[in-house]
Amino acid sequence: MSGLRSWAARRLLLGAAQTAAVVLLVFALTEALPGDAAVALAGDQPDPERIAAIRQAMDLDRPAHERLLEWAAGLPRGDFGTSLASGRPVSTYIADGFGPTLLLASLTVALLVPVGVGLGVLAARREGRLADRLVSSVTLGAYAVPEFAFGVLLITVFALRLGWLPPTAVGYGTDLLAHPAALVLPVVVLLTRPVCSLARLVRAGMIDALASPYVAQARRYGVPGARVRYGHALPNAITPAAQQLARTVDWLLCGVIVVEALFVIPGLGTVLMNAVAERDVPVVQGLAVVFGVTTVVLNLGADLVARRFAPRAEMAA
Amino acid sequence: MLKPRFVLGAVIVGLPLALALLGPVLAGEPGPRAASFTLGGGHWLGTDFVGRDVWRQVLLGGRSVVLVALAATALAYLVALPLGLISALTHRGWLEELLMRPLDVLLAVPSLLMILLVAAVLTPGAAGLALLVALVNIPDAARVVRAAAAEVASRPVVEALRLQGESWWRTAVGYVGRSVGRTLAADAGVRLTGVLYLVATAAFLGVGVEPDAADWAVMVDRNRTGLFVQPWAVVVPALLIVALTMGGNLLADAALQKRRRT
Repeated sequence: MSGLRSWAARRLLLGAAQTAAVVLLVFALTEALPGDAAVALAGDQPDPERIAAIRQAMDLDRPAHERLLEWAAGLPRGDFGTSLASGRPVSTYIADGFGPTLLLASLTVALLVPVGVGLGVLAARREGRLADRLVSSVTLGAYAVPEFAFGVLLITVFALRLGWLPPTAVGYGTDLLAHPAALVLPVVVLLTRPVCSLARLVRAGMIDALASPYVAQARRYGVPGARVRYGHALPNAITPAAQQLARTVDWLLCGVIVVEALFVIPGLGTVLMNAVAERDVPVVQGLAVVFGVTTVVLNLGADLVARRFAPRAEMAA
Repeated sequence: MLKPRFVLGAVIVGLPLALALLGPVLAGEPGPRAASFTLGGGHWLGTDFVGRDVWRQVLLGGRSVVLVALAATALAYLVALPLGLISALTHRGWLEELLMRPLDVLLAVPSLLMILLVAAVLTPGAAGLALLVALVNIPDAARVVRAAAAEVASRPVVEALRLQGESWWRTAVGYVGRSVGRTLAADAGVRLTGVLYLVATAAFLGVGVEPDAADWAVMVDRNRTGLFVQPWAVVVPALLIVALTMGGNLLADAALQKRRRT
């Protein structure tokens, strides 16, 4: 138990270091501009008035470390600064985009686990046969396909040729739940990569577990097949997958940005892309901190859960 | 004996790869611009959003994706290889911590986010995009190198070399470096498909490319507005990207399994 506790403490420490690194990195990458930051950010309209306004809004006359400290101190209070483009607080941008993104992400995660585990178990039970070869090849092939290319093909088939689903979420506003048809394609596209990764891991873990001595022993005792599979083999097969779920979080965040751009969904990804296009640095910084810290926290959670289920598994911390 | 998956991967990846590498040679001179999003009129796949011939754009558009991905993968290893080798072979614990811990911390930042952050303040070109993608791949690549090298470094051969008084350089590069080559070749295949994904996605989001560039990902993005009138300008480049990444992954996996078995 003390081993677990000290491991958890070290893992929490790493999480804290990662959070601090995200904040530092976001600040450094966006503020370490060559030359005069205000001139660089003014971009296409470098009139002196705009440059002066940017310099004032971002306090560029003060030394960088003072600005970093002040900005970082505001973050826990939800004070992310104000937008250069509109003068509104960055937190209102985050609040606006939060709903659709949360809906997309939670729908995806809710479907990801049953679909991924289901496919993996199916393939493992039919190892070497047609169903397994089909699932294995498709999950391997689809695993690295960029969401935008896959999504555009789905739009062409299901929205354009067949006319079953709307091609984008344009005109539905932020209340997407009222228009479930508009959510089908985005969620399918978001699911593809994580499902493939999860199914492959569960399949491999399940095949190992089903070949293990304890499963053979349970069979000898006459424990029913379903109970051996789902009660004994599956929990052991899921552990490596749970650790990998953390990596899926990274993909999900990348995927959300792409899928929102592709289907014109007004979520955090769209807000981020607009801010990047407008060089609205405070908004980009705020969203990057939200995305980055979410990743760190979810990674931490996944590691702690995985460790709880399989304390003997080796994990870096 | 070739595995069916190997053949399948090679066939799927063959067409987009051939188009990407040979296309620019075959493309020829640009014809006069026609109206946007038309079909027919001497244009085999119609015209794109500014009235250029789609087939010509397809021929030209693969090279940037493939070259940027190759350059980024090579760059990532160029940094990861010495980092991983040094931290696996050093006997100073603090040096290993100093080299590897920052990478653990960096692993937590989503890769696309890092690229978008830089794109918000600079306008990276193709070379900049390659650098950025390489940068986000360094932490993971360095960990793979370190793990592979640590396994080799614990072999008796390395101890014998050291006792013989061979130089650090000969042990590290001459023996350990050569022995991890096979593992790294397999990892490079998988990494390349991941890099292809990232490069194409960044280009789709407009990072590292001109807004009217001849690039498959940019074509998908820019021609989306005409999807209902002229789907070919979107579907053809999208299919090529899907084939490139899908075939590449099947191929890398088949190669990986061959390695494991021998």
